[in-house]
Amino acid sequence: MIRDYYNRNALDEKLRGAPRPPGVNHLAIGHRQAVAMVLAVAGEEDSVESLLSSATDFAVRFSAPGEWLVVSENDTPEGLQRRLNALCSGRAHIVDQSEARVLFRLSGPATRRILAKGIGLDLHPTALATGASANALCGHISVNLARTGEDTFELIAPRSLAQSLFDDLMTMGREYDLTAAFAA
Amino acid sequence: MASLITCPHCGVRPKEEFAIRGDASLVRPAPTASDEAWHDYVYVRTNPRGRTLEHWQHVAGCRRFLVVERDTFTHDVHSVTDGAAFARENGR
Repeated sequence: MIRDYYNRNALDEKLRGAPRPPGVNHLAIGHRQAVAMVLAVAGEEDSVESLLSSATDFAVRFSAPGEWLVVSENDTPEGLQRRLNALCSGRAHIVDQSEARVLFRLSGPATRRILAKGIGLDLHPTALATGASANALCGHISVNLARTGEDTFELIAPRSLAQSLFDDLMTMGREYDLTAAFAA
Repeated sequence: MASLITCPHCGVRPKEEFAIRGDASLVRPAPTASDEAWHDYVYVRTNPRGRTLEHWQHVAGCRRFLVVERDTFTHDVHSVTDGAAFARENGR
């Protein structure tokens, strides 16, 4: 039996039923985006970083020295893998993570106050600029946190912890009427 | 204990993101060293009051091993370096 994890979101059971209209503060769960991990070969970290930052078709998230997460909304997982393999041409190992990671997109005026309940990072724009990203601890779950706009953040979490993180985020956002739905 | 650690890769982070992996000032003895030298290396630890060098692993962040120089009495953090850079500087 083939289990198709890519077509079954980890949060299907949490978001069952008719979607409610999104509120001011909204948590969108990424649907069918491709995520890949790029691990630079020793000594090639700088060249891989410049190659990745030169591309504009996908978002690059810093996770550790010589290690990035690449998120693409338009590619299939196989397509992203091929594209990255062609781009890095032997300078990096590409590991597909599309089925293994769940993407949470928080937006709204209260996002910083919501995230501050679980993340011990300075989220002020002067400390975490738009486009910056890093791994961080949210509650007890290690996530990749990225600021994609003034009041929008994206969290990439391991699939196995997605339900727990979802519950945490909804509890953190209850005070601000956080709504949740799959991204369009 | 020092509650904020400035990771050279990730920036200022709370100590909950780290795992402390022990004394970083120890040097592994040669394989042929005496049993006493190996016993000291494996089991014997000081309990310093003052500056110490420790391995801290940023498990919830970049997952790198860092060498943190901190004061166990005043809780000041004096320096944080990447473990690989520290080993290179000290010729290990």
